[in-house]
Amino acid sequence: MKLTKEEQAMLDGGQGRLVQIAIENVIRYAEVLGASELCKITKATVFCGAHCYLDVYKSEDFHEVFTHMNMARDETVPFDRTCPDCYIQSCVAACDQFEFEPLHQSKEFFEKNAYYVDEARKAGVIVTGSCSPYLTGWIPVRGEHFVTTESGMTILGNSLWGACCNADGIEAAFWSAICGRTPKWGYHVQENRHGTHLIHLDAKLESVTEWELLGKAMGMKLPATMSTPVLVGDFEDVDFVKLKSFFTTLAVTTNCRLCHIVGITPEAATGEMAFAGHEIQGEITITQQDIDAAYEELCDKPEGTVELVSLGCPHYDINQIKKVAEYMRGKKVHPGVDFMVWTVYPVKAMADLNGYTRIIEEAGGHIYTSTCPTTIGADLLKHYPNQVYDSLKQSVSVRSHDLRQNVYYTDPYRAMEAALTGRWKEEYRWKK
Amino acid sequence: MEKVILHGRGVISGVVEGEALVCPHSITGWGGINPSNGVITDWDNPNKGRTIKDTILVMPGSKGSNGWSCYFGAVRATGCAPRGWMFTEIDSSAGVASAVMQIPTIVDFAPGEDPCQWIENGDYVRMDGSTGIVEVTKGK
Repeated sequence: MKLTKEEQAMLDGGQGRLVQIAIENVIRYAEVLGASELCKITKATVFCGAHCYLDVYKSEDFHEVFTHMNMARDETVPFDRTCPDCYIQSCVAACDQFEFEPLHQSKEFFEKNAYYVDEARKAGVIVTGSCSPYLTGWIPVRGEHFVTTESGMTILGNSLWGACCNADGIEAAFWSAICGRTPKWGYHVQENRHGTHLIHLDAKLESVTEWELLGKAMGMKLPATMSTPVLVGDFEDVDFVKLKSFFTTLAVTTNCRLCHIVGITPEAATGEMAFAGHEIQGEITITQQDIDAAYEELCDKPEGTVELVSLGCPHYDINQIKKVAEYMRGKKVHPGVDFMVWTVYPVKAMADLNGYTRIIEEAGGHIYTSTCPTTIGADLLKHYPNQVYDSLKQSVSVRSHDLRQNVYYTDPYRAMEAALTGRWKEEYRWKK
Repeated sequence: MEKVILHGRGVISGVVEGEALVCPHSITGWGGINPSNGVITDWDNPNKGRTIKDTILVMPGSKGSNGWSCYFGAVRATGCAPRGWMFTEIDSSAGVASAVMQIPTIVDFAPGEDPCQWIENGDYVRMDGSTGIVEVTKGK
């Protein structure tokens, strides 16, 4: 491993044990990948909070849990610093920023989560609580190296902004945020960012839902590993919301982390530019039939009552919340239905300012921040046998919990209709 | 018994053997495994309901959420880790998980030697994380 003087000093313990472990782990990671050097990162999102997977380690001491689980070491070292040159903010936590009872969580757990988040804040992490860090201005530019715990952000940053990131993971994001380094490998190396597979889009995509389904349809046809698709087609009406939703879906249904879109993304002004002289390894056509088929396996069929309707994955921006408020104005959520809208705290503050929160609350709904149903997990989901989502990611993730009867996935307006009637009806299924 | 030898890049040393569990479409990140017992909960996984504990786990690479390695790290913490694992082609999420797990690991198999193609559930596998050699005894 070729290390700079600064990296060697970190490895020798010159910046303390925490930094030493962090860079040791990054080097271990680099060796598994086959990388021979590291690169500096300047932005990071990290996964703070008392997340459910941490439950397996029994201790009241956050720092003991942190070292064993996130640093993968059988010792306790305080998590008390992060790289000063890096802009680091928190991804979703295990609780809303302020509320716990409506989400079926105990005060004790809420306080534990707050303790975990606050210790990260003391170490230098900006408490944000979002899977969509761009909503608060965390935006890496072309060529900038970053790490993130959010898979949709990985692919969005690589593809739409031309910044450089791999899908590392929860632990490695902490290691990088502490020592400021990641393996120089994969999409951190310019020569590796070329396309591998040409995807012809033979369908006219109009709604956000259709863009989400495109991600799933591509996931069903792409190879299991290491593809960089290049998408060509008619993208006349594309916007940022459609793209963030598409990238999120593609990320959860494949291990793809960069997708060039010809004419849209910066490294793909043309197909030739996207492939950069490399051979096309495979050609795939996605038709309307593929989009329809992708939907079918994600939405259960039985009609019946629903208890949860959830909008906002990735976290909604203020314009998406405005549209919800406009639709729900003067209407009433059916008794027995919890209608939840998810975003990040500053966007919620804007929704308060603009009166959208009041309209949604008067309708019987609520805006939550800092987390989402699948991140909270069983404590929330077990209360709702029949759940409706406007997000493909949520509807896929909650299916692994054997706690529900039906999971329905549709567009936001049909989802809101389900909240208003308290039922899932055949007419709410998404259709072209 | 038919024997097959496969060659990959050994990246975490150690010699282990055991029954293979093959996930040809990987395991989905975030919630695909119950960390308390290593049982696969991934809703569309053909191995749903089986545990990865004490197996030789065979996958093409990672899949899905960046929250992939943390579930394997949690499985390590509960003592339900596989004895060893291998990936057809290494990727970053699988790389982090390997750095966390520190169990014998082989990656980047030679052309035509994809372990997901050659190994089936129940085959007996011996793997050497130093040399990258995998010895497969077909059948139980």
